[in-house]
Amino acid sequence: MTREQKRKIESFLALGLSGLAALFGLFWLVFILGDVLVHGIGALSLDLFFKDPVPAGQTGGGLRNAFVGQLMITFSATLIGVPVGVLGGTFLAEYARGTKTARVISVLSDIMVSVPSIVIGAFVYAVLVRPLHHFSGWAGAVALAVIMIPVVLRTTEDMLSLVPWTIREAAFALGAPYYKVIIQVVYRGAATGILTGVLLSMARVAGETAPLLFTSFNNSFFSTDMKGPVASLTVTIFQYAMGPYQDWHSQAWAASFMITLFILALTALGRLLLKWRYGR
Amino acid sequence: MEVWTVTQPIGLEVRDLNFFYSGNVHALRDISLPIEKNRVTALIGPSGCGKTTLLRCFNRMHDLYAKNRYAGEIIFEGRNILADGEDLINLRSRIGMVFQKPTPFPMSIAENIAYGLRLKGIRNKSELAGRIERVLKHAALWEEVRDKLNASAYELSGGQQQRLVIARALAVEPEVLLFDEPTSALDPISTAKIEELVTALKQDVTIIIVTHNMQQAARVSDMTGFMYLGELVEYGATEKIFTNPEKKQTDDYITGRFG
Amino acid sequence: MPIVPTGAAKKNCVDLLFSTVTAVASLTVVLLVVGIMAVLIRESSLAIDRFGFFRFLFSVEWNPVKQLFGAASAVYGTLVTTAVALIISIPTAIGIAIFVTEVAPPMLRGPIGAAIELLAAIPSIIYGMWGLFTLAPIMAKYIEPALQSTLGQLPVFEVLFRGTPMGIDLLTTGVILSIMIIPFTASISRDAFNLTPPVVKESAYAMGATQWEVVKNVVLPYSRLGVFGGVALSLGRALGETMAVAFVLGNSHKIATSFFDAASTITVTLANEFAEADSDLYLSSLYYLALVLFGLSFTILAAAKIFLLKSERKYTR
Repeated sequence: MTREQKRKIESFLALGLSGLAALFGLFWLVFILGDVLVHGIGALSLDLFFKDPVPAGQTGGGLRNAFVGQLMITFSATLIGVPVGVLGGTFLAEYARGTKTARVISVLSDIMVSVPSIVIGAFVYAVLVRPLHHFSGWAGAVALAVIMIPVVLRTTEDMLSLVPWTIREAAFALGAPYYKVIIQVVYRGAATGILTGVLLSMARVAGETAPLLFTSFNNSFFSTDMKGPVASLTVTIFQYAMGPYQDWHSQAWAASFMITLFILALTALGRLLLKWRYGR
Repeated sequence: MEVWTVTQPIGLEVRDLNFFYSGNVHALRDISLPIEKNRVTALIGPSGCGKTTLLRCFNRMHDLYAKNRYAGEIIFEGRNILADGEDLINLRSRIGMVFQKPTPFPMSIAENIAYGLRLKGIRNKSELAGRIERVLKHAALWEEVRDKLNASAYELSGGQQQRLVIARALAVEPEVLLFDEPTSALDPISTAKIEELVTALKQDVTIIIVTHNMQQAARVSDMTGFMYLGELVEYGATEKIFTNPEKKQTDDYITGRFG
Repeated sequence: MPIVPTGAAKKNCVDLLFSTVTAVASLTVVLLVVGIMAVLIRESSLAIDRFGFFRFLFSVEWNPVKQLFGAASAVYGTLVTTAVALIISIPTAIGIAIFVTEVAPPMLRGPIGAAIELLAAIPSIIYGMWGLFTLAPIMAKYIEPALQSTLGQLPVFEVLFRGTPMGIDLLTTGVILSIMIIPFTASISRDAFNLTPPVVKESAYAMGATQWEVVKNVVLPYSRLGVFGGVALSLGRALGETMAVAFVLGNSHKIATSFFDAASTITVTLANEFAEADSDLYLSSLYYLALVLFGLSFTILAAAKIFLLKSERKYTR
């Protein structure tokens, strides 16, 4: 075999391995999603959405409390996190554009995006749960908002930076003050991008469990009182999966299916919006 | 000091203007010139000569960026607009600007115009509609867009976008309009339309236009200033500058020997 | 003549207000970082006073009844699971990145990349469910016995594969973690590969290099910093992963020597014991664990960020 042949075979093998790596990755994706689909669909029922849990060990009942709680906590978190994130990102991309302050805050946010979420749960426990002596939906919402803020802030910063600077100059040249330039012109140019950031950040926190474990805790009863413990799908899944009852397991699968569906839908929507608006 | 022959009232007067970019780049040196009212004044010169820098002094665009410095005066309506405490919002609504590339805002055609009007405090719907129509007619765009006022401004062609941007600037009712190479991104037909428009507009506003295209300066302007290396080399009636310039540098540039 | 600096003009009141509001909003990030650090230190001060730094870190005993708390077993579990995850994920993720930038037909590059990134969108609780009910039994029944009868027969490796394969152990956890962090390493490596100037690749091809040689000798060296950044980010992610690990690692405060042993990590200890910590010292020790985790992951994520910034700067100049 000539040297050249050897090199060609080596190249073929190495690149073939890279293909196998891709197959390996795709295999897990299909395996996991398929597994959730198969287990989840079988366990779906109307009772799941419209009934509350029955006492442990009995069959029947549903997770109405957890669905409602999950929505309440997620949306409250969005209400807190999105304004802070969007405004903060605005500061970095506009008033502090190009400054050292903006760079430092931007880097800190990138780090915060990946900080272990359970640490954030412990932080909120010390700040909002222990001083008030009880778990609360609000504490859970704040913990999720803390996770959301850096995500939304960074996307907002990036999306505002994509709006061409000449557009701002043109608005300034008409005699518009900066705040009007930002709110009426720049935000409009970046609206789709910011919306995508919000959707993706909601997808990110909707699946979070660890920060809720000791903030919103759990509640086996239906409750819309955000000042007390509130059930969430994710914490319920954890509790049910680790529990001994067959019925709990199948409800946990159904809940997993719904959560996955919700998150993948949000993610897909966000990506489609980006593709449609920015062509990438 | 040179003595200018002035045939019209003065709209803006530049006195001993020096300008420094951050890091102390001395971009404009001792510029003095009168801008006549309701005339078109062209600023020409090779790239980097400071013509755009000078243009951006009139509406203080340089203030958007830190560490730039002005020295000298620009007199507008009896006051020095380079002074401390000048209200830039007000100044820019009196002295409008049109840029090299069209800068429509990410909204509909009508809203682009309404944006300028709203800045002036006009909110009444029927008044807005009336003014939008008037301004678009003024900018010779009405016939082309009357049926799609609610379409996105990005759907217009480049030349139409540039006229939309001019209309938007006119909506604020400025006294002066600054044009920074307004046709450099356009095709010849669109360019001709913009030039016609510029000539027509001088009835109502004072116009300063920066251009690298000498034929354009000759076609549209009444007065021309030739700049080189941050200095105003020569200033006078366009016809005189282009046929019988006094300075050799001007002659060289006009006849294409450099730049 | 008076020199007027730019910006010396009249300020608009509303603008001042709006800029202040946005500035405060962006400062919340700084406040959160500082606040989290401060709160963790304050809450763990009791345990810090009692156990000190090195004694806490290297003591194996975690015994709420005796009020003795050492982080060694949790830190050990965290490090071992993360190491297993990295060993599996790094070559796979780099392979995927090579495939989607150099090998796959252009039409498939986008979709395959997006599919791999989808792995990162699946919430960790789902990985936990799937790990507990589906992967763990498979591991226990097929993969672990197979490993035991092959690698487990080798003289030195034998220690790593002792015990009854139950599926709820370090190995399963490492596998799940590796799947979870593959998309992070892969997508960042892909972006880094894409930054390699085409001209440089072409000049290597022009010398008669094979496609693999171009990847190995041009693309990989060029994007080294970016790949490091991706790996460091994944490392930070793996250290802090909680739920997926809580399902499949068991919760045993022992230094496990076999991949088939149950163990504990910092995150699992927090998730399982936080709400039931019944004494101040117990809770404070848990906060001390959280502090160690926060410090560790913050440092690694900061390093990742620095690598990535450097690799970007290299090409934008």
